This record gives sequence, structure tokens and C-alpha cells, in this order.
Amino acid sequence: MTGSKKLTNSDYRKTTLRSYFLQNGFNYSNYQGLGYALLMYPAFKKLYGHDKKKLAENLSENTEFYNTNPNLIPFISSIHLAMADSGMEYSEIRGIKMALMGPLAGIGDSLSQFCLAPLFSTIFASLAMNNVAMAPVFFLLAINATLISIKFAMGAYGHKLGTSMIEKLSSKMSLISDAASMVGVTVIAGLAATFVKMKVTLTYASSAKAAKGATTSTVDIQAMLDKVAPALLPVLYTLLMYYLIKKRHWTTYKLVILTVVVGIVLSALHILGA
Amino acid sequence: MQITIIQALLIGLWTAFCYTGMLWGIYTNRALVLSFGVGVILHDIPTALAVGAVSELAFMGFGVGAGGTVPPNPIGPGIIGTLMAITMHGVTPQSALALSIPFAIAIQFLQTFVYTLGAGLPEAANNALKAQKFGKFRFFSNATVYLFATVGFLLGFLGAFSMTTLKSLVGMIPDWLLTGLSVAGGMLPAIGFAMIMSVMLKKEFIPFALLGYALAAFLQLPVIGIAIIGLVFALKHYFDVDGKEEAAPATAATASTKDEEGSRDDWI
Repeated sequence: MTGSKKLTNSDYRKTTLRSYFLQNGFNYSNYQGLGYALLMYPAFKKLYGHDKKKLAENLSENTEFYNTNPNLIPFISSIHLAMADSGMEYSEIRGIKMALMGPLAGIGDSLSQFCLAPLFSTIFASLAMNNVAMAPVFFLLAINATLISIKFAMGAYGHKLGTSMIEKLSSKMSLISDAASMVGVTVIAGLAATFVKMKVTLTYASSAKAAKGATTSTVDIQAMLDKVAPALLPVLYTLLMYYLIKKRHWTTYKLVILTVVVGIVLSALHILGA
Repeated sequence: MQITIIQALLIGLWTAFCYTGMLWGIYTNRALVLSFGVGVILHDIPTALAVGAVSELAFMGFGVGAGGTVPPNPIGPGIIGTLMAITMHGVTPQSALALSIPFAIAIQFLQTFVYTLGAGLPEAANNALKAQKFGKFRFFSNATVYLFATVGFLLGFLGAFSMTTLKSLVGMIPDWLLTGLSVAGGMLPAIGFAMIMSVMLKKEFIPFALLGYALAAFLQLPVIGIAIIGLVFALKHYFDVDGKEEAAPATAATASTKDEEGSRDDWI
């Protein structure tokens, strides 16, 4: 491992602060992917700036799908930077980046959405009801002070962990990255089954006989599909996308247009519903 | 009460800032905060606080969900509701909250539409990178912010300037298009997952993809549970291979001594 060590503590702090930009390019095809590349941009520029092609490649690779909690992302970005700074390629880092995505999203979302936000929200809303005019300002100060402390603590911890991990385990890195990819693939497959939503709302009446008193039983197609396998359509659609990317080399533009058209048409025909 | 054009512009800017703050995760897009700004701009903080507090508690449960799901938007009560309570006669904080719910839902669809519109951004950003145009890459990577700021400004400004115009604009969007877009919005993540899989999925990882699917779809485990079970197999793999590698040099060494002995036998 030829450690070049181009990054200083201030680069890590800067990247931690840039975690506020994680959703600046949020969209429905790669979620926080663009934001991830964006927040790494200054640090990457320092690492690969002499080589424009490599910088562009690294940024481009990092625009792939990402979705995690914006308050815990400094942990991931610091580990990523520590590894990249010691000369590792993205292919060796990706596994860990992807493996951390799901768990940190889970922990971070429960922390900020189910704990901090409701807590501060109730406290300051009741203050406002008692005519404390500055309650909204205090609300903003309190929640943001808490969140930024979390960000910096996570960033510093990730930096430390990333550096020690490399020193201790550099010889086993490909094995670790394989193991991390296994967790990553498991989590991403699980997310695909839950995040991608397709619901058949079409039902048809099965009784052809319009005899008096005959109960028309409607057949719910979605319920039938769920009995075959839950999340069957989302998985099949993801596989179709996979096929089009891998074998047909479709660009995202084409895939997005196809998806939007299919979505609108199938919903207009009342086959799929929200 | 009459709202001046300057006040309408200020409310537009305030809404743009707060709405964009949602992307930054700074909690400005909350009913309590949104309405406070309207109160300051229109010099009626008590009414604004009352609407804000009631709506904050009512909307507390929304906004909870996995990243990327779009809940009814607090701009409904926070901006539109507060405007109603301050400018219209006889509108209480509670009725302002109720009256603004359709707006909260319409804005929710609007946001889905913005995210869907943004689905083309990754391709544009990657093309910019291919041409090594880093400025362009940064523009596309920030584009959701620009879209949010524009949408927020228009909502705040139109709401303050002419409530009736806003109402008719919301009514103009056909229902089939709205539902169609949210159906498409539900399907779009498939592209992102397929993109990662196209890079990460080696043949030997296929069992893990099946594992993840089964855990999520059949057992409905939360993502942390899925990660832990994935980790069990990953660690098992790690220790198996690691153990073999440690044992391997030793066997190789014994093999070579045997070889040496063998050849010596031959030699003798």
C-alpha cells in the first residue's frame, strides 16, 4: 500500500460539512447518488486533481445509486476518503460503502425522525402555543446544533476507523471487500423488493352468470400475485432494467422515459395504482 | 388585510429557502418554522404561531418514512394555511389547517413530479463528466435545489399574491396525470438498483441477492435485520477463507519437504 496521504484533517471536516449537500441532486433514479459525488468533489480534486481523467472517472463511479441518512453520511465519507487517500481504487471501497448504506439509513432515520424531530417538535410547538414568539427560532437552533454535533462526531469516528482499518487489514482488503459486497448485495436486493412499488389495482368479476342472487366474486390480481411471491412485479421490473443495462446497454435517459411512459399508461388504463 | 407585492415576494423567498432546507436536512420545512416567517413578514406573529403550533403537531407524524418517500407537505398549513388565517376573516388556526390540507397533498404530488423530472439528471451529470466539464457536473448535481427553490418561490409568491390563481392552478392538473406520475415514481428506483447490481453483482453473489429478496419480501425484515443476516454469511465466508489462507502456507511447506525427501530417496 503506497500511502500518498494528500488529505489533511481540514479536508475531512470540509467533506463532513458538505454532507448538507447530499440531497442537492436528489431524484428518483439514483436518489442521493449525485449528492454523494458532489460532497466528495473537493477532496477528490485534491486526490486526483493532477489527473483530470481519473477525477472524472471517480466522480462518475460515485454517482451510482445511494440512499442513506444525511446525518450519518460523514461516517461513510470519512472511511471512503481514508481508504482512497491510501491509494485504494473505488472497486475496493465500493463494498464497504454499499454495506454501510442500509444499516446507517436505518439507525439514522430512527434517530432523527422517530426520536429527535418529534421530541423537539413537541417541546417547541407547546412553547409556541404559550406565545413564546421565538419558539420557532429556538426549535431550529436546538435541532440543528444536535444534528451538526452528530455529523462531526461521525465524521471524526469514520476517519479514525478508516485509517486504522487500512493499517491493520491492508493485506486482507480484497477479502474484506468481498465480504462487504455480500452484505451490500443482500441489502440492495432487499431494498429493491421494498422500495420499488408496483401494485395491480385491476380486478375482474369471475362470475359470468348474472343469475339472480349469484354473488359476483371479484378476483384481486394483486392478492393472487402476492400469493405466488410478494413484491413479484417490482423484482421482475428491476430484472428487466438490469437486463436492459447489462445486455442492451441502455442509458438512464431511455430507462427513465420508458418507466415514466409505462407508469402513466398502465395507471391510465387502471392496471396499476398508487 | 392587503398583502403588498414586496411582502408577497418576501414570502416567496422565505418559502423557497425553507423548502430547499428540506433537502439540506436543516428542518426549516416544518409548519412551525414556515408560519413564523409569514408572521414576521405580515406583522402578525401571534396568529402565525397559533397556526404553526397546531399544524406542527398535526404534521409531526408525516415526514416519517424511509428516505425518498414523499409525505404531505407542511408548506400547505405553514404557508397557505397561515396566509388564510391572517388575511381571511373568520378563519381560525384549526380551520386554516383543515383548509390547507388539499394544498399539502397537491405539493406532495408536485414534489414527486420534481423527483421524477430529476431522474434524467444522473445521465446529464455523467455526460458532463465524460467531457470533463466539472462546472456542468456541479450544476446538474445541484439541480434539485434549483428546482425546489423555484417551486417554493412560486408557491409562496402565488399563495400570497393571489390565492384564487393558486387554487385554479392546482385544479388544472388532471387526476390521471397525477396518479400516473406517482405510479411511475414508485417504479423509478428499479433503475437505480439495477444500475448498482450491474456493477456489483458477480455470479458468486447471486445467492445473496436471493437472500435479500426473501428476507425483505417474505419475512418483511427491516433493513438492519437484513444487513445482520447478510453479515452472518459474509463473516462466515471471511473466516473460512482467512483460515484456509493461514493454513495454506503450512501445507505447502510440508508438501515441499516431502518432495525433497522423495527426490532424495530417488537420488539415493
